[in-house]
Amino acid sequence: MPSNSTYFSRRSMLRSSASGFGYLAFAGLAHSATANEQASKVGGRKSKPHFPARAKRVIFLCMNGGPSHVDLFDYKPELNSRSGESTEIGKDRGGAKLLGSPFKFAQHGQSGRWISELFPKIAEHADELCMMHSLNTDLPNHSQAFTQMHTGSFQFVRPSLGAWTIYGLGSENQNLPGFITLNPPSDNGGARNYGCGFLPTICQGTKIGSQQIPAFYAAMLGKSHDSSPPYKNIDNNAMTREEQRTQLDLIGQLNRHKLQNEIYQPEIEGAIESFELAFRMQDEIPQLLDLSTESAATQTQYGIGNGLPTDAFGRQCLLARRMAEAGVRFIEITAPTSWDHHFMIQDALPKSCLSTDQPIAALLTDLKQRGLLDDTLVIWAGEFGRTPYGQSVTGRDHNNKGYTIWMAGGGTRPGIAYGATDEFGYEAVDNPVHLHDWHATILHLLGFDHERLTFNYGGRDFRLTDVSGNVVKDILA
Amino acid sequence: MLNTKGFALRLISEALLLTIVAYGFVLTPCVRSDDYSYLATDAKYWSYQPSIRPTVPSNEKTTWPKSDIDQFIFEKLVAAGLSPSPDASPTTLFRRVCFDLVGLPPKADEIERFLDRVQTDGLETALGGTVDRLLETDAFGERWGRHWLDVARFAESSGKEANITFPYAWRYRDYVIDCFNDNVPFDRFILEQIAGDLLPYESDAERARLLNATGYLALGPKNLDEANKMQFEADLIDEQIDSISRGIVAHSIACARCHDHRSEPYTMEDYYGLAGIFASTKTYFGTFVTPANQVGGDPLMLPPLDGQQVFQKGISAEKVSELKADLASLKKEGEDKRAEVMKAALEGRDASEIFTIRDALRIVWRSGGIEGQLEKVDDDGKPLPLTMGVLEGGKMIDAPLLDRGDIHAPGDVVSRRLPAPIQLNAIFNITPDQSGRLELAKWLTHPKHPLTSRVFVNRVWHHLLGAGIVSTVDNFESTGQAPSHPELLDHLALQFVDDAWCVKKLIRRIVLSHTYRQSSSFNQVAFDADPDNRLLWRVSKRRLDAEVIRDSMLAVSRELDMKRPDGSLVATVIGDRPVSLLGLDQSLPTDMDGAVYRSVYLPVLRDKLPDALAIFDFAEPSLVTGARETTNVPVQALFLMNSPFVLARSQALAERIIKRVSEEQDSKSLARDERIDRIIRITFVDCLGRSPDEVEMGLAKAFLEQKMLTDDEEGKEIKMVASYCQALFASAEFRNVD
Repeated sequence: MPSNSTYFSRRSMLRSSASGFGYLAFAGLAHSATANEQASKVGGRKSKPHFPARAKRVIFLCMNGGPSHVDLFDYKPELNSRSGESTEIGKDRGGAKLLGSPFKFAQHGQSGRWISELFPKIAEHADELCMMHSLNTDLPNHSQAFTQMHTGSFQFVRPSLGAWTIYGLGSENQNLPGFITLNPPSDNGGARNYGCGFLPTICQGTKIGSQQIPAFYAAMLGKSHDSSPPYKNIDNNAMTREEQRTQLDLIGQLNRHKLQNEIYQPEIEGAIESFELAFRMQDEIPQLLDLSTESAATQTQYGIGNGLPTDAFGRQCLLARRMAEAGVRFIEITAPTSWDHHFMIQDALPKSCLSTDQPIAALLTDLKQRGLLDDTLVIWAGEFGRTPYGQSVTGRDHNNKGYTIWMAGGGTRPGIAYGATDEFGYEAVDNPVHLHDWHATILHLLGFDHERLTFNYGGRDFRLTDVSGNVVKDILA
Repeated sequence: MLNTKGFALRLISEALLLTIVAYGFVLTPCVRSDDYSYLATDAKYWSYQPSIRPTVPSNEKTTWPKSDIDQFIFEKLVAAGLSPSPDASPTTLFRRVCFDLVGLPPKADEIERFLDRVQTDGLETALGGTVDRLLETDAFGERWGRHWLDVARFAESSGKEANITFPYAWRYRDYVIDCFNDNVPFDRFILEQIAGDLLPYESDAERARLLNATGYLALGPKNLDEANKMQFEADLIDEQIDSISRGIVAHSIACARCHDHRSEPYTMEDYYGLAGIFASTKTYFGTFVTPANQVGGDPLMLPPLDGQQVFQKGISAEKVSELKADLASLKKEGEDKRAEVMKAALEGRDASEIFTIRDALRIVWRSGGIEGQLEKVDDDGKPLPLTMGVLEGGKMIDAPLLDRGDIHAPGDVVSRRLPAPIQLNAIFNITPDQSGRLELAKWLTHPKHPLTSRVFVNRVWHHLLGAGIVSTVDNFESTGQAPSHPELLDHLALQFVDDAWCVKKLIRRIVLSHTYRQSSSFNQVAFDADPDNRLLWRVSKRRLDAEVIRDSMLAVSRELDMKRPDGSLVATVIGDRPVSLLGLDQSLPTDMDGAVYRSVYLPVLRDKLPDALAIFDFAEPSLVTGARETTNVPVQALFLMNSPFVLARSQALAERIIKRVSEEQDSKSLARDERIDRIIRITFVDCLGRSPDEVEMGLAKAFLEQKMLTDDEEGKEIKMVASYCQALFASAEFRNVD
């Protein structure tokens, strides 16, 4: 079981190696395999899971804004037939009326999962999806719910799900951050959603965002959608890699020397680790982010192309697959569309779906073809769902009481639907899954008992699930 | 919908656990009732209550407390079985004060002078003198004005979908900086930003200053591609209410737009009472319709002044007439076409070819462009002095309550009024002929307002001690954190008001407390009891802000230009443009920097921040940000290792140091060893504000000597010294303050 002791022994190691023989040995080893092993123990920290992990990595498809489950995955004939009626559930919202889904549902695959016509391509993967219809979270406000989805808590600054994953499993590839988040929203908690809280800095998510020219202009000007190089400051013309290594050694020595004076200086430890990682990233990142090495067929499959509605998310999904292959442990990509459909859901929801359907389907196909889906946990989730009753006639309000998320691969049971909401899709009534339960389940798939994956901070053992959480055993393959 | 019992219980258990475990006692005001419903019905939570003048504790057995602040801090430390840390060394303290007050590193000779003064006059006097001196420099306003700009979500573009530049936003930025330097009382400062246009003035210059102040209300993020004008208007008002309520009173009144607030006593009537005030106000944010945005606004005209900076180009008087004629003919063309279409439709003919989308777009875009040109010049084509801000609207109107915030579902009209949950013993009367902004501003700055003074002193505390007394500095609601020292918060707030809202006095008081003077050293026992340092058993170590990191490199390399630049890159070079297209302009620096002036003057474009700022956790300019994030990620390392900016500073510093050492009188006679020694030492002190110890000396020597093999290779020496300089810039100590 992981404990803080690893970090404290690391501290002592760093202290003893900060000067004299220890330091020289360390510096001399800097390029060798031994040093890399050491670094992996130190930085990446391969710790033992509590039981065999079914998922080695996570791709979190984050659907910011709260997608409408009753229009996408949670088929409610009762809602449609009683559309326009005032019912009990809308009572505390001024008697809002039920709003039937304007979209057609059909059953798909062997499993016969109901999926809306808005996700025709995802529907082709119906038999691989592990659908959970009974999620619920504490508050129907974006900022709280989004932060709670990512960190388990909206009240306190806590490590994110990705950070806990790195804390538990360490990094697979020492040349890349273990946790990368692409284009995360800057609101709704911002960096907290990929932060490490009190966990060691190495667990923090690295944000990658690219400046994009709007599709309209890109097409008009005949330019590529990406306006800037994907990653800045990756080259150095002033010195050779070898010279830079020497310089980096000096930086590391100065930092370690400073660390020697005091046992607890997470900002310095974090700096030591992040410089070493940055040095190694210089070679790996440009290749990783260069999508031009992918075949035209693959790019088409993901929906990448100037002016295409799928272009932005297609790129992100393809990058996610490349990162998964390269050994990034936790990959989060945020859909470049808001699912917060308070108005005109009939027009707006199809647009959001269109921009994500093909890329997600392509990702699932690609992962499967490469044999990665078995040990990659793919998550599709927003911070909550939407109400079955209407808002502003044409839209839906936030609904935290019952909503759908799905997972695929990584040891989840494919083709099942777990839990259910009431006849309208308002409240989880059958096998409700609270956010903490879901987090516990994810950790379980990663090989951890959520009650034992703890970090002692200020005399208390903290965990992702706080004092709650039950693993949803029925969804495990 | 908060009434989930389980949820309430979880909150309670967490709150109790934390307070009990971490502090060893329960903080009194952090009582959460078992019954959540009280939150929605009344205003009993502490932050709605007026500040109460507390009794300053006295601890007779100790001489540690030097001020009231220290008494409060000491009392809680003792109660938790802890004690304050020893004082930081004068060198450390001096560096801390310089960063905190002016955001610049101390120079070597300043450090020496300070240490001398500590020797002769004692620490108290030396520190007091330093603080007084720093508070009077312009650099102070640049540092503290920037803190306010974070709260004011200052930016020079509209953000959101169609991100269009705001070329006049810099005037508000300069206004803020000047206010902090001129020690404008904080209540007056707020009054000017909300209602500057309604305040009396004695000169055109004063009028211009007051109009610039209202830029606060105009420069929020806006969706300039919103097709529905009513929706745009409602969102603009919402953004104004949200920024004011979060920024000034740390409450989220805007949550009551669609429903009564879920956890606070604000009702929809409270919201729409405020909405009417802003619906009766006209917001001038510049911009015009282009292919990239469907909504355009107007700029606000300033009174002409001597020596006024105006950056847009003028045009000839002929051109003005020509544009006016073009505009008229475009307008006529549009009207004619519309009439034709109507006619055709009435006669049952196909109208689709008469007025095509292409024609319509051409007319709208071309007209927008012309209007954009004309609004910037007078009839002679002379450029006009323009700004962003607000004026009273043409019509004073009360806003209808919108069911669930939906503009299509207007309900009863709510008269313009101030939020009811906060009751002051004073009358604020909004007459039919005024928007009510002035009353709102007076209400916010009323000496008895329970929030304005508390929220601001808490912000200042946060900047000086690393965390607010209320750690959620933008949230004083029941979902925020309770104050660690409620009595101290009230004490500071009341004293602030007694001091006529004098910001410099407030800062001085905190910086000269014994609490602030503590060392930041680790202490296992105290850490175990209070890991978040809520009780202030030490001064928290802090990562420097993005601006301070960048400015420090420029300061050390002596390239920093302390002069305020003209306007902003947005005003002087970029002008009116969609931000998304700036990447295509080869003449603009790719890192949006390319300058050597202070970071506060760099362009702040939403979604396109200068690298040096974005990488080190600059405040997201679309949000009210009282506390920035601090990340520690490889992207920062890459910036320090490879960015042209850092490489250029390292080179400049190396050149300066080598020149200086070479010019020193006895340098000719210096042995090679001693020369290297000298280079190492000077650079180290310049960068880190202290001398290197022996180990550091050895490390630097080993580094330089292994490569500086021969004396005759001058290029080699510069290169190696530059690499050493960069290593110091990149060291953790450079960007952290103890």
